[in-house]
Amino acid sequence: MPPGRSFRVPSPRLLVQGWPWLLLLLALAGIRLSKGAFLSELYALLSAPFWPGSAQQEWLQSAQKLSDQTQLAQLQQDNRRLRTLLDLSHAHPQLLMAPVISREPGGWWQQLLIGRGELQGIHPGDAVLAPGGLLGRVASVTPITARVTLLTDTSSHVGVWVGRTQRHGLLTGVGTARPVLRFLEKDPQVRPGDVVVTSPASTLVPPNITVGVIQAINDKAVPAPEAVVQLSAPVEAVDGVQVILNSSR
Amino acid sequence: MARLSHQPWCLASALAVPLLAMASPGLLKLAGVSPSWAVLWLLPWALVDGPVSGALAGFALGLMLDALNLGGASQVPALVLLGWWWGQISRQGPPVERSFSLGLLALLGALLLNLSLMLQFALQGTPLEVLRLSGVQILFAQTLVTALLAPMLCSLQLLLWRRQISSLRG
Repeated sequence: MPPGRSFRVPSPRLLVQGWPWLLLLLALAGIRLSKGAFLSELYALLSAPFWPGSAQQEWLQSAQKLSDQTQLAQLQQDNRRLRTLLDLSHAHPQLLMAPVISREPGGWWQQLLIGRGELQGIHPGDAVLAPGGLLGRVASVTPITARVTLLTDTSSHVGVWVGRTQRHGLLTGVGTARPVLRFLEKDPQVRPGDVVVTSPASTLVPPNITVGVIQAINDKAVPAPEAVVQLSAPVEAVDGVQVILNSSR
Repeated sequence: MARLSHQPWCLASALAVPLLAMASPGLLKLAGVSPSWAVLWLLPWALVDGPVSGALAGFALGLMLDALNLGGASQVPALVLLGWWWGQISRQGPPVERSFSLGLLALLGALLLNLSLMLQFALQGTPLEVLRLSGVQILFAQTLVTALLAPMLCSLQLLLWRRQISSLRG
C-alpha cells in the first residue's frame, strides 16, 4: 500500500464478483478441517478398480483349499490306519463310480437307477454317496444296473447321530424331500443347523458320512422329539454317484 | 377278427411305458411328479381292443412297472380294473373320440390308480401322516398331468390303432 493512502474496506461489489474464489477458499478450509476426508474418499473411488480383487481372493482360496485337501487326505490315511489297527469293519472301503441313468425322486417310490451292477461288485445294502453326502442304499441289482433306495423313501431307515451333541437317532424317509430324524432320548439337546452324520454304531452304512443339516425340531412329538433334516446331497442334480463296496463279503 | 393284440409291433409299443417311466422326462413333470404312462398307453388300447385285451394288457403293464419299483404296493389291480372298464365302455356305447372324454377317462384312471397305491401303503402300515404329507401331493399332481396329456397322446394313439384295425379288416 503506497504511503499516504488510507486503508479502504473492499467494496461489496468486489466481494460479490469474487464469490468463486471465496467458495474455493471455503472448500480448502473444509478439506483442511476434515483432515483430507474428501481427497481420501476420491482417491479410494478412483483406485477401486486396482484394489486387491477377486483374482487375488481366488488365489488365496485355492491355496486354502489345497491345504485343506492335503490335510483331509492325511487324516483319512490316519483314520484308515487306526481302524485297521483296531480291526474295525469298513477298514478299507472301496469306492466305485457309477452314472445315474434314471431318477425318480418325486413319485411314490423315491429311487435311482445307476449304471453299474453285480458284475462290478455291487450288492444289495451297499451305501451310495453323492457329492455332499449319503444318498441312500442299494435295494436290488441286475448284472449291469442297481436300484438305489433314496433316504427320502418311506422304506428307508438309517441310524445317524448328531456329532455336536453325540445323540443317536433314526433317519426315516417320509416321501418328501426332507426325511425325519427320530431321536431316542427325550432331550436330544440339538438345534437347527446341527450336522447329521451316519452313526458310528450303524451296521448298515459306514460311519461318519455326512447326511444333512437339521432344519427344524418338533419338541412336542411323542415318544421323543423329531427333527426335519435337509439332505446335503442334491438328489435332483446328481448325475454320478459313488458306491461303497462292502469288502467284508 | 382283427385284434391289436395280434400285431407284434402294437404289442411292442407297450415297452415304451416302462422306458418312459424310467426316463421320466423333466419337461413333462408337474411338481416333480411324472404322468402315469401306463394309463396313457392303456386307455386307447382298451378302447380299441376291448375289455379282455385291456385287462390282460393292464396286468402285463402292472407286472413290468412293479418290477421297476422298490415294492410295497402294486399297480396290477388298478390297471387290470381300468383295462376292463375302458374296454367295456368302448363295447357298450358309441366310440369315444372327443378330447374331453379322453381327458376325463384318463383323470379318473390316474385317480383310481393313485388311490389304490395309497390304500395299499396305508394297509401295510405307512403312517397316515406320511401319506398326507407326500401321498396327496403325488395323487393330485399325477392325476392332473395325466389328464392334461391324455387328449394329445391318447387321440393320436386311438387314431393310429383304429386305422390299423380298419386296414387289417381290409
